[in-house]
Amino acid sequence: MGAIFAAEKIAAGYGDVVIVHDISINADEGEIVAIVGPNGSGKSTLLKSILGFARLFGGRIIYQGKDITGITPDRAVSLGIGYVPQINNVFPNLTISENLDMGAYQIKGKASIKAGMTEIYVMFPELGTRKNALAGNLSGGERQMLAIARAMIAQPKVLLLDEPLASLSPKPANAILSKMQKIKEAGTAIIIVEQNVKKALSISNRGYVLVNGTCAMEGEAASLFAEDFSKERFLGLEARGIDKGLPCVHN
Amino acid sequence: MIVNWPQVLFNSVVTGSLYLIGAVGLTLTYGLSNFPNFAHAEFITLGAFISYGVAHQLELSLLPALIITFLITGAIGFLCYRGIFQPLARGGANMIHLMVASIALGFILRYSIGAAWSWKPLYFSNVWPLSSLWSHHDIGLLSITNLWLWLIFAAVALSVIMHLILVKTKIGKAIRATSSNPELALASGININRVIWLTWFIGAGLAAIAGIFRGADTQIWPMTGWDIILPVFAVAILGGIGNYYGSIAAAYIIGLAENIGVIALLAVGLSTEYRVGIAFLILIVTLIAKPQGLAMLFRKA
Repeated sequence: MGAIFAAEKIAAGYGDVVIVHDISINADEGEIVAIVGPNGSGKSTLLKSILGFARLFGGRIIYQGKDITGITPDRAVSLGIGYVPQINNVFPNLTISENLDMGAYQIKGKASIKAGMTEIYVMFPELGTRKNALAGNLSGGERQMLAIARAMIAQPKVLLLDEPLASLSPKPANAILSKMQKIKEAGTAIIIVEQNVKKALSISNRGYVLVNGTCAMEGEAASLFAEDFSKERFLGLEARGIDKGLPCVHN
Repeated sequence: MIVNWPQVLFNSVVTGSLYLIGAVGLTLTYGLSNFPNFAHAEFITLGAFISYGVAHQLELSLLPALIITFLITGAIGFLCYRGIFQPLARGGANMIHLMVASIALGFILRYSIGAAWSWKPLYFSNVWPLSSLWSHHDIGLLSITNLWLWLIFAAVALSVIMHLILVKTKIGKAIRATSSNPELALASGININRVIWLTWFIGAGLAAIAGIFRGADTQIWPMTGWDIILPVFAVAILGGIGNYYGSIAAAYIIGLAENIGVIALLAVGLSTEYRVGIAFLILIVTLIAKPQGLAMLFRKA
């Protein structure tokens, strides 16, 4: 089965500064792919460059077999690519249901919006009980739920999540993970950028390890996790020793 | 000195209503485009001149003149954004560049209006000599004109309509969403350019309505908008930039402060010319003490 989403040989950064060098990632339907690595390794930049929130210096983005390099974020949504930023990922001055309305902005017809809304409240029952609460008044975990729900209401085929577990305590973090599992089972591919390596890999099929803006390793999540030396590197205890890992393959 | 307090309060409502209509567009475009548009003053002035022109040429009464003026000035506002500010912002202009460009645009518009029409004041009473707008009513201590009642009605209607648009409609929610987080709005699939264009259209159109009332209440000349731009800015800043509900409260607070200030000025024997200083004072104090204005009280906008 071909990948539904692939970013090939991406070089990206901000202004004139290139942060990410020559990284290729892909995701199949119904797969969770984790991009992990220490602080400053370029994980978020890679994700942001896909939608044009960071500058793309080189490379191609392929979605459903088509080249969509340089697409604007609103077009990406209409094609089926959802994105949840790490910070400021809800509209604090809008209520929960209004945030979802914004996520459903491109859905035509009141009936289908309503149906989507009902579905989201089934998937995220904790949001359904507080529809009229301002997003700015929610707890960190609830906010993250809403952020994901806002992206999910557009029924994306690929969901890009930027550090969804950051600054969450274990309980809400686990709740987010179980939602991701459900989203995956419903057929949406998820690409997750995460610093919490253990948790991210625990639900992922495959993973990429980024160090200093390049891909240091890639492979099955279980095998990546099993590598002792890689654990050390993820934790930032040892930034060198890249040569020990399995090299990233560009196809 | 005997003060007619009911009249002072009523005048405050009239003043506040004018500032509110003038400030809504400013605060919304400021919130979305992230720069203070000083040419907003000229949108007000244009409103006064265009309505005078259409009322004179087409022999229209207040309401149709108001609607046509809203549409024409709204279109001018959209064109100014689309033709000047948007290309500048795309080219990397920051807030200061855009602000200076808006001051320049204001000058160009102001002196073009003066050259094209006149610097000599024009009066709506010449186009609508028999209109009931000018009739006076005396109710107890109050002296009221129909024009003022129309102005208050317009401000109330505007408040209700804008509230319904911002809370009930998809585009209104998108305006609030884009104002608070443009990146997330884009990532939600909102075409934020269209949202910004529409806001500039509405904002300039509302400025024009303020211009009609200001022009009818005083005179129409190229400085009509500039004469009230300071309190209009004070309303936008006191209300919290981009915060519609805050600007409603701020408009009436400043209206009240100005009218009480006039009495204070008279009491100490100073000229009422200093009344503009009152709004300026509120502006400065707000910026020093609470730059976010009343926004914290009205988070929903």
